[in-house]
Amino acid sequence: MNTLQSIVESIWDQVDVVLGWRVGYDPLHPVPTFVRDRKDIASLIWNPLCAPNLSVFLAKFFRTASQRDKKIGILAKGCDSRSLTALIQEGLVDRDRLLIVGLTCPGTVDPDALAAARTQSGPITAVAFANGMVEITSADGVECVPLDRVIERRCQRCRHAHPVLYDVVLHDFEPRPVPKDPFAHVEALENQSLEARKAFWLKELERCLRCYACRNACPLCVCQDHCLAESRTPKWVTQKDTVADKFLFHMIHTLHLAGRCTECGECERACPMKIPVGLLKEKTAQIAMDLWHYESGTDPGARPPLLSYDASVTGI
Amino acid sequence: MRDEALNITNQTEASLRIVGFLCNWCSYGGADTAGVCRFRQPPLLRIVRIPCTGRMDPLFVIKALAQGADGVLVSGCHPKDCHYAVGNLYARRRLEMVGRFLPFIGIDPRRFRFTWVSASEGQRWQQVVTEFSEVIEKLGPNPGLRSHAG
Ligand code: SF4
Ligand code: SF4
Ligand code: SF4
Repeated sequence: MNTLQSIVESIWDQVDVVLGWRVGYDPLHPVPTFVRDRKDIASLIWNPLCAPNLSVFLAKFFRTASQRDKKIGILAKGCDSRSLTALIQEGLVDRDRLLIVGLTCPGTVDPDALAAARTQSGPITAVAFANGMVEITSADGVECVPLDRVIERRCQRCRHAHPVLYDVVLHDFEPRPVPKDPFAHVEALENQSLEARKAFWLKELERCLRCYACRNACPLCVCQDHCLAESRTPKWVTQKDTVADKFLFHMIHTLHLAGRCTECGECERACPMKIPVGLLKEKTAQIAMDLWHYESGTDPGARPPLLSYDASVTGI
Repeated sequence: MRDEALNITNQTEASLRIVGFLCNWCSYGGADTAGVCRFRQPPLLRIVRIPCTGRMDPLFVIKALAQGADGVLVSGCHPKDCHYAVGNLYARRRLEMVGRFLPFIGIDPRRFRFTWVSASEGQRWQQVVTEFSEVIEKLGPNPGLRSHAG
């Protein structure tokens, strides 16, 4: 039986560093970690609380890294593996220098849903996952919550819980089954009138702080230092705190990700104001599927549709 | 200054506004041809000349409509006639994407149109502008997000 530790041990000689997760300030909050020392392999963890998509670090890594022989090891759930694939497609990371440890994924936990589902309130000392249940141990005792009750929105609609790209794969969990209608949330909004949709976005985006966490968490937002949202020439968005300016910022993020977004949901997960910004990108992903039968981040050799054209198309 | 200028034109012309992004090489020429031939056109259009529809950032469409333009019209060379060979082939994918995205954020997609008009097609230009202007006149003013812009 492979464990995460045994897999990382087995690839250790080929890598300089392994990007993974370790326990954060409590067992409910794993954080990204870069393992460069063999003895730290023991600190690596993998469970449905390991939400952060580690591929967000890669483009920067590849921009700054000196050319070395050894590879960069990275743990990747299904959605993370799609982000990796998209980065490879766009030439932002070099496949040959990656060693991907794929993880079959049961879905990740929405921490707020979990907090709401708990009946106890004592500080948590341990969390375990088994048979579709989250088992939380605290000073008040042990409590079980079904994983399905606390699953993130992105995972409810996940089509690739089994990684699409990896060198080795760890089967610790059953991958989440593919949902019948991954675009149900998009369609629910579309069933409303145009006015209602506009009102929906104005109401949601009103809360936006323009903290840019959604952008910074996005593995495919790779020009953050030159972001249009902050550029002064041309000045696209003012620094005013109006919903019109917030709206425009989100249009920048959405349209720059159109045809590229892998629906990893990190933008939405990172948002401190719980704004469903992932929905905007899901719509563009759906359009890309309708127009070009294209699903981003599934084929490392494919060219993103908005980076190419088809001269033989007529009628538009 | 700018507001004053706007008020003056508002008094003399219809208050609905279409922003037209026209490629320098074909459609701008087409619009010019239409003018030279004295084809009558509704006065709604304000033209922004762009070097190629390949320069057309989809954000231009959204920003114009959010700021309250009543319509946005993009026009370039016919596919395969692009001065830069393929600019319009990239453009039509982006424009098709943004056109389908507009209703999701509550913007009426009928307020946006893209088309291809060559420099010699003065007649076709007249037709495009007339038809689109009729659509916009029927839809009436676009509130956009002006009232939310502080
Ligand atoms: S989106 Fe899919 S792969 Fe990603 S965390 Fe959720 S279930 Fe796992
Ligand atoms: S826009 Fe959001 S869902 Fe899409 S790739 Fe970026 S973080 Fe992931
Ligand atoms: S993370 Fe949320 S609050 Fe911050 S800029 Fe993005 S949408 Fe706005």
